[in-house]
Amino acid sequence: MERLLEEIPNFFTIWNIIFLGKAMGVTLLLTVIGCFVGFSFGGLLAIFRKTKGIILLPLRFFIIIYTEIFRRIPFLVSLLLMFYVFQIFKITDNLFVIATLTVCLIATAYIGEIIRSGIESINQTQWDAAEAMNFSYYQVLREVIFPQAWKVILPPAFSFFIMFIKDTALASQIGVMELTFAAKILNNKGFSPMLSFGTILVLYFILSFPLDRFGKYMEKKLASNRN
Amino acid sequence: MGYTIVYTQVLEFFPYLVRGALISLQIAILAFFGGMFFGLIFATIRTFGNRLMNNLVICYVTFFTNTPQLVQIYFLFFALPEVGILLSPFMAVLIGMTLNAAAYLCEIQRAGFLSIRQNELDAAKTLNFTLIQQVKYVILPHIMKVLFPPLSNHYIIMTLGTSMAAIFGVEELTGRALNINSETFRSIEVFSLTALIYIVITFIATFLLALIGRYFFKAKMRIIQ
Repeated sequence: MERLLEEIPNFFTIWNIIFLGKAMGVTLLLTVIGCFVGFSFGGLLAIFRKTKGIILLPLRFFIIIYTEIFRRIPFLVSLLLMFYVFQIFKITDNLFVIATLTVCLIATAYIGEIIRSGIESINQTQWDAAEAMNFSYYQVLREVIFPQAWKVILPPAFSFFIMFIKDTALASQIGVMELTFAAKILNNKGFSPMLSFGTILVLYFILSFPLDRFGKYMEKKLASNRN
Repeated sequence: MGYTIVYTQVLEFFPYLVRGALISLQIAILAFFGGMFFGLIFATIRTFGNRLMNNLVICYVTFFTNTPQLVQIYFLFFALPEVGILLSPFMAVLIGMTLNAAAYLCEIQRAGFLSIRQNELDAAKTLNFTLIQQVKYVILPHIMKVLFPPLSNHYIIMTLGTSMAAIFGVEELTGRALNINSETFRSIEVFSLTALIYIVITFIATFLLALIGRYFFKAKMRIIQ
């Protein structure tokens, strides 16, 4: 315990703080890019899955397979798979790109499901009414469905965002320089594991706690609006 | 380029991988029920406990739901030996996952508690139900209908989460995949096969849980979302 206290001034040097700050930025960047892409493509998946025509049947089938598969593979396994595919076919060596792509693929599947359940939370009668007024599919979505559905979509999407801040810790396994990897490096440099891992636990907490609070607050506010 | 995908070499290891999957399932189930147990205690404290206990549980839940499970296990595995607690990899993963699951399952079970309405309990009392009858006919059917879908969902998430154990050297499905990878260097084949096994075991779990949920608890559950 005394040894730990002695180590604290050595641990929190300017260099280490900058190092951890940068790593925190990478974690955040990975999550933000993943969720942004996930939101765009997930939205597309959800929209195309609700279509009806026979021509788009293969597309709908593909979407179902895609979401079912990517929500059932552990993040670690998909990361390793992506890593080796990229290494063997020599596509890119940039580990950050590989991790980001994996996050995007998985986020698309998860957020697609969230958006779809949001769309489905709207009553069928609303679809029928809009159809009776000769709205096109695009118009129905824009004028009727999404103005109501975003309240259902946003809270789970937020908790998904927080989940991904935490899940990106696994990207340390292929060597992306994010928070967990930074802690491993500090640990290997000889700092006590209690200090290095304890610090990043606190940093992850700082990162996700405000978002968690904000998500809960928003959930409450939107829910009370709806009733 | 010049890499051809050949599965024959990897398929020899298929039984070895499947036995690994059984270890994964074992970890998931143990951690899930451990988490259920502690989660139930915490949820009871959250609903009925005094202020101090309540706040302690809130702190616990906020801490564990806002930090990555991987780092929690790292902490257990690497930091606790400093104070003289040595855990085997399997135990570290199991304890880490249980602690983490307890936090999430506490929140889920609390939502279940809140779903019982006072009117229903009053009605049961008016009908002169005994406590056991109340639990059996009023409380449990209600709670389970609300609880079962999110619980089974969390079980699936935990099954996927067991792949973290590989990082600590536990020889479960992902750990064994890493072993085979370093033995044969057929990386793509090994990990795609592993992914397939994960898909199959979670699919079976979803299927069984949906059947149970629909049959026993009248919960609305779908196999393909």
